[in-house]
Amino acid sequence: MGSYILRRLFHMAITLFAMITLMFFLFRLLPGDPTATVISPALDADARAAMQARFGLDRPLIEQYFVYLGNLARLDFGLSFRTSRPVWELIELRLVNTLLLILPSMIAAYVIGAFGGALMAWYRGGRAEGSLVLAATALQSAPVFWLGMLAILVFSIWLNWFPTGHIVTPGRFPDPTWRMYLTLDFLHHLALPFFVNTLYNLCFPLLLMRSTMLSTIGEDYVELARMKGLRERQVLYGHAMRNSLLPLATTLPMILGWSVAGSVVIETVFSWPGLGLLMIEGITRSDYPVVQGAFLLIAVLTIVGTFVADLLYGLLDPRIVYR
Amino acid sequence: MSAPILEIDGLDLGYATRTGTAAALRDVSLSVAPGESVGIVGESGCGKSTLLKAVMGVMPPNAAIERGAIRFRGTDLVAAGPDAWRRVRWSGIAMIAQSALNALNPVKRVSAQISEAIRAHADWPRDKIRARIQELFQMVGVDPARIDDFPHQFSGGMRQRVLIAMALALRPPVLLADEPTTALDVIVQDQIFRSLRQLQTELGFAKLLVTHDLGLVIENCERIVVMYGGMIVEAGPTAQVIAAPAHPYTLGLYNALPRLGAAVEPISIPGRPPDLIAPPPGCRFAPRCPFAQDRCRTDPPMRVLGPGHHARCHRSDEMDALRPAALRPETWERDDALANESNPDTNERT
Repeated sequence: MGSYILRRLFHMAITLFAMITLMFFLFRLLPGDPTATVISPALDADARAAMQARFGLDRPLIEQYFVYLGNLARLDFGLSFRTSRPVWELIELRLVNTLLLILPSMIAAYVIGAFGGALMAWYRGGRAEGSLVLAATALQSAPVFWLGMLAILVFSIWLNWFPTGHIVTPGRFPDPTWRMYLTLDFLHHLALPFFVNTLYNLCFPLLLMRSTMLSTIGEDYVELARMKGLRERQVLYGHAMRNSLLPLATTLPMILGWSVAGSVVIETVFSWPGLGLLMIEGITRSDYPVVQGAFLLIAVLTIVGTFVADLLYGLLDPRIVYR
Repeated sequence: MSAPILEIDGLDLGYATRTGTAAALRDVSLSVAPGESVGIVGESGCGKSTLLKAVMGVMPPNAAIERGAIRFRGTDLVAAGPDAWRRVRWSGIAMIAQSALNALNPVKRVSAQISEAIRAHADWPRDKIRARIQELFQMVGVDPARIDDFPHQFSGGMRQRVLIAMALALRPPVLLADEPTTALDVIVQDQIFRSLRQLQTELGFAKLLVTHDLGLVIENCERIVVMYGGMIVEAGPTAQVIAAPAHPYTLGLYNALPRLGAAVEPISIPGRPPDLIAPPPGCRFAPRCPFAQDRCRTDPPMRVLGPGHHARCHRSDEMDALRPAALRPETWERDDALANESNPDTNERT
């Protein structure tokens, strides 16, 4: 087990390194001169050269690459072109906002999905089950931005229950800013994007759990559990559902990394100041260091998530032996 | 004979399917005395496994008991309701499942799987449960140190022993076994059956063994029940049934048994089991029977042939005369088209 983790960590490092390299050169391949936004073309040649030297842009690309690697190692993501503040500082704040929205809603989606899917399979064939499958399939196929806009239309504009967006009422940021997480106003703003994101992400675990359960229910060990005189509740939760959780659990960490990336859409719809919105802002304002930093973070989350999924599977299924 | 511990009385069971109700069990009556061994034989789809599931009360959702009773110690479980039935499962009637590979939950330790069976029926302290599981492992010949292993850590034969240990956990007076050794090689099969017989002598449970292997029943059971198309076609003491089979299907099964050293080749029965949704009129075996007559299109009576020996055949009283013909392969050879008249999609003729 220990050597397995070490080896996986080594693989992770290689993947990460490849990803960083790819990203570095991809950003340099972008059309146009990204530095044009900071180093005004209106400046005279000497001043421009001085600026380029300050950013290290006069040196060969390969040297810039090693400088970049060295900076990353010290968690230095560079300075934002726009605000001249360290990128890490910007990302840090936004990441907290994103995680506060995504994590609870993913947990809710998976918990409801696991139990809901299990019960749907257990009571298969009813009318309610049929309409739920239909609804979940439809919901899963609907674009999340459309769902978000629909929710805003119904619950914010027509019913006026929730604000249309933002993390707190604009202009009411407490001091220090982190205290806003403790306010009811924050929860009030969180409710609608949380609800939409949960609903949207619920469909996948729900349908996966249902189909896994349907095959598990027919297994001999489920029948044996019933023969042993266990109560139906024990057969359902202790055997059928317990074993059906395996495929579901492994999707969770990967989906997590993926849904942080997907937060771009929901954060844009709800003007939620998270990592996704930061990326969009970065792209529209050509703030490349910020975009690069955000991309890197999402990649890291996905890679780590996959690693955790592998370990989790071993924990849940004793047949998996790490060598 | 003492009062039966398990009594199945006129049981009718049907499976609801898209095309109609499949009559999986029809008028099945069978009683098992304490400590007795009864073997049920028949080919796949004859209803033998369905019968065991019905006795355990774990039929699939589309199955329904239409008529009849399943009495354990005189109490009808069908009438007693699901909760009373649940309490009899495992403590009164336990079962050795068919496939040792799939019957154990792969992600749970075997000790946990045995202890949950005990805890479902008895309120024992943890230590007592663990001691009991170790004792059970000792009994079936598995190292008691391995009770906390996972199923995949055992070999096929060991897993089957674990299942037997699990079945015996609550000292059930009745033990059902559904093809308990199908997945195992003959040597392991022999070992398992030997220890089952030994355990039966020690513990005195009654055994109801279901198999397609007539040989296993002859070796292990005092009484034999032959099923065909959801019905019992012949039942009686093993020695009598083997010496003088009174139903052509039993004759056919006996012919199909390979015998060491004998000059006779096994003879197979052409055709395939009847369609249970629209069974043939009268005797269900008639379309495959070399001795069928016109009257076989009417329901045959259950004829008593001796103490505890009966057969469901119009011609069972003429069997003495028919038996020599049944031993000749050409009696069973017939036009495939004719044999499969009611089942055109068959290609079975081994």
